Amino acid sequence: MLDRGEGGFGERIDWALFIAVALLAVIGVVNLYSATSVYTLSRADMYVSQVYFLAAGSALAIFVTVIDYRHFERFAYPLYVAGMLSLVLVLALGKGIRGSSRWINLGGFGFQPSEFTKIWLILALAKYFHDSPRSDGPKLLRELTVPAVLAFIPFFLVLKQPDLGTALIHGLIFLAIVALQRIRISSLVLLFSVSAIGLPLFWMFGMKAYQKERITSFLSPETDITGTGYHAYHARIAIGNGGLLGQGFAKGSQNQYYFLPDQYSDFPFSVLSEDWGFVGCLVLLSIYAFLVLWALRIASQAKDRFGAVVAVGVGALLFWHSVFNIGMVSGVLPVVGVTLPLMSYGGSSLLTIMLGVGLLMNVSIRRPHLAQIHTRQLVFVR
Amino acid sequence: MTYLGQRSDTAEFRRRFRWHALFVVLVFGVLVGRMFQLQVVQGADYQEAARENIIRRVTLATTRGVVRDSQGRVLASSRPSYNVYLVPLVRVDRKYRCLAETESWTKLIDYMRLTAEERQRLEKKINDMCVDLFRRFEEQKKERNKKPVHVPQVLVREDVSRDIVATLETHESELKGVEVVSVPVRYYPYGDLSAHMLGYMSEIDGEMLSRLRAFKYIEGDRIGAAGVERGWESYLRGLRGWEKVIVDAHNTRHSGPEAERLLDEPRRLDPVPGRDLRLTVDIELVEAIDKAMRGQIAGSAVVTDVRTGRILALYSKPGFDPNVLSGGMGKQAIRDAIRRLYSDPLLPTLDKTMSGSYPPGSTFKPFSALAGLRAMDDQGRRLIDPQRTTQCRGFITYGKRPFRCTHVHGPVNLRDSITRSCNVYFYQLGDQVGLDALAKVAFDYGFGAKTGLGVNPESSGRIPTMQWYATHFKGQFRGGFTLNAAIGQGATTTSVLQLALAYAALANGGTLYQPQLVRAIETSDGAVVQEFPPRVKRRIDIDPEHHRLLMSGLYGVVNEDEGTAYNERPQGVDVAGKTGTAQTSHRGVHGEDQSKVWYFNRDHAWFAGFSPFHAPEIAFAVLIEHGGVGGKAAAPVAFAAAKEYQRLVASRMVPKNNQNKAPPGPRRKKGAP
Repeated sequence: MLDRGEGGFGERIDWALFIAVALLAVIGVVNLYSATSVYTLSRADMYVSQVYFLAAGSALAIFVTVIDYRHFERFAYPLYVAGMLSLVLVLALGKGIRGSSRWINLGGFGFQPSEFTKIWLILALAKYFHDSPRSDGPKLLRELTVPAVLAFIPFFLVLKQPDLGTALIHGLIFLAIVALQRIRISSLVLLFSVSAIGLPLFWMFGMKAYQKERITSFLSPETDITGTGYHAYHARIAIGNGGLLGQGFAKGSQNQYYFLPDQYSDFPFSVLSEDWGFVGCLVLLSIYAFLVLWALRIASQAKDRFGAVVAVGVGALLFWHSVFNIGMVSGVLPVVGVTLPLMSYGGSSLLTIMLGVGLLMNVSIRRPHLAQIHTRQLVFVR
Repeated sequence: MTYLGQRSDTAEFRRRFRWHALFVVLVFGVLVGRMFQLQVVQGADYQEAARENIIRRVTLATTRGVVRDSQGRVLASSRPSYNVYLVPLVRVDRKYRCLAETESWTKLIDYMRLTAEERQRLEKKINDMCVDLFRRFEEQKKERNKKPVHVPQVLVREDVSRDIVATLETHESELKGVEVVSVPVRYYPYGDLSAHMLGYMSEIDGEMLSRLRAFKYIEGDRIGAAGVERGWESYLRGLRGWEKVIVDAHNTRHSGPEAERLLDEPRRLDPVPGRDLRLTVDIELVEAIDKAMRGQIAGSAVVTDVRTGRILALYSKPGFDPNVLSGGMGKQAIRDAIRRLYSDPLLPTLDKTMSGSYPPGSTFKPFSALAGLRAMDDQGRRLIDPQRTTQCRGFITYGKRPFRCTHVHGPVNLRDSITRSCNVYFYQLGDQVGLDALAKVAFDYGFGAKTGLGVNPESSGRIPTMQWYATHFKGQFRGGFTLNAAIGQGATTTSVLQLALAYAALANGGTLYQPQLVRAIETSDGAVVQEFPPRVKRRIDIDPEHHRLLMSGLYGVVNEDEGTAYNERPQGVDVAGKTGTAQTSHRGVHGEDQSKVWYFNRDHAWFAGFSPFHAPEIAFAVLIEHGGVGGKAAAPVAFAAAKEYQRLVASRMVPKNNQNKAPPGPRRKKGAP
């Protein structure tokens, strides 16, 4: 199973990963074309920009792939610290978009640090769990203090922007990684009781009014059509309008007649559903599910903890992004602005995903092969 | 893989991956299930919702038919009136907001120069509606698969000036939620000249709407409220159509094959334009009557063609401006006009040609005479010899009461008694033939029954019979009633229209026509849909000798120096007729203005006749309410009408090669040199 043949770097490429990502990228660009086909001005060219971002992202992924991930291990903490500083910078001089500041302007190019900090968090956590002394029994809660702090800092800073969706993604990546560890039962009980007390407090003091509104409007279903629920309501109609086989490429009426206000950023999935129907959705969901499961598989075969945690982290990133976005669009989850990997328009999001994909590929390529044990032993002896 | 132990060991994680994978599969399974639910199970519902989002049914207006007179001059048509509406809720920055809180509203106030009062009223209305709408949005949230909430429009002002329309159009982009709607308003170029005949339009009220909804009337529709507009409503109105259009989230319309692909069938229902009407009336003749009536306060006149029964002129005074009542000057003007019209003692809204009935006075005498000529005794001998004279000493005594005549006429025969309008002769005649014999002739000539013109509510008038007295006076009939009936007084009343038609039947030798006001129904491009040929109601048997005698008597009224209208006789027109001066009884309210009491106690002045005498073409009846003596007040009006008719006929007798010229009347400027 592991034996994919020996030989050079090229032959060890994880083609399944590559094809899944390439497929998503192509679908994403085509769908973006449909989503913006109604616009005549600058937005009509979004899919072209997206291709440029993809090219840049691919270059980044290749660059990340060829470097041995142990270099990332080495730079994990500095990268993390730099990421946190960039978040602080956003809060200090961020540019407001719809009531929250998430962007730093880098010479006419909007840059969203909170996208990248997810990767820096993954690397930092991987480093920590890689380095942490091996305990034979289940872990105590206090052993998780450092990773919890590592995760809480970006969570808090992103929440302050405020960007609930991205903050939650940080938190969930942390949870996915922690869930790899064996933890003592008593510690788990403690953890649950703390969150049982903490969540109401968080609701009362930690969240902005509009965030609460989104969640209440979600919890009282069928939405407030005049305000927050407008997007979700029309997105759901768009999905249903797709039916089994869809309305056809760039023919969905909900999209074509402007009922989906953010169809290129937060709602590309509704465009796809309307154009291609249940069959199209099934294809896309399958690719995402495959990618996440494949990431878990890569993690399971990783040669060390660092690789495994990175693979799980990136898998969690892909998983929660796609699940949050699709869940929100289809009305299963409240509206939290989270992008759909490789489908949503946006440079920072795309580069982050490609960075993650590069890391996955990196771990995948560097998993141990039976035929290469000897050389590896020579190379990797500490 | 323990041999990799020199690196950190992943063995600890191994069992966890399975749980992770299971979780991932479950969550994606939920999403797939959700998609299946939305797209396959509920797909049809959502497709319907998506269609409702983009498909709007737009009403296609129809046009009400044009009414023209016999010469093709427009009497009633429609002109555009610009109404300004607003939508109480507007979407600003992806949220609905109440219009009164937005900049559009302040700008609208400025551009339309709304008064403070208008502003307050509208602001209150808008705010109330916003509260209501937001509440309905809330309610809507609670149910599934609901219809979208309809946001109604609010009228800002009707019939705004073109200046304001231009300003609003210039600043259209700043005025979110403001809409200028052009609606047709009925326009009557001749104003109150044609008011009673044409009627007017009014907004349909709730009670009427509930009856007429089956005929596709909707709120805000205007419906013919009187006259031709009401009587011929079903022909004039036309039928609205609709069309489905594609609109986007910003309510912008989209067309083209790509958009139309989404429309479901049927896509359109074409509107049916209303039919045009060609009336029998000649508005120039009505104008002449109006001119001749200038000195009079109230009255009416009817001119009819004795050869066809077509009505050539209907005129009732005082009138009203149907343009105002039809909403051409806004709603407030309608209310003001109605209040004024209904408090006027001269009853301007009453169509005095047919809706009112009056004692006909001496104009009734020819029919009494005919009753006398017809009457036989038990042996079948004629009761009355027309040549035998009766001595008129100015009155006769019947019972213990004197019955007066206008003058002391001395000896008069039947013919002279018509010419000189001797009451005594007719008292005796009436006494001899009896009430029912008088009534029989009257009924033959169409009195006592509605004529069936079908335009305004008609009064049938009253021709008293023994039966009538038996039911209404509890058998207390007295012979004196017959005497009064013989001279057209007492209980006898007729409408002006009835009288004109009866004189037409006299003039044409006994043919009573069904009166007609509409000559033809035409399509909007002038093609005749239906033409109404003259219809004879009945042929009255009249002895030619009797006819000659009556004609002679009526001729004498105008053309002999003893005739009651001789002093007013016209030059150059060949007229015959009968004057009438009918007593009225006005019971004055205590403390009523004395001049008013005097006016309402004056006699009605009548003239009924026909022209030209030797080959009758038209018959007419003129009533001057409280006008005094018939020969003085009413005859000149009748003569003016006869003269105008003659002039019009002569002016239209154009040489053969010119016959295709356009009819006279207001011409369009188009094509003018």
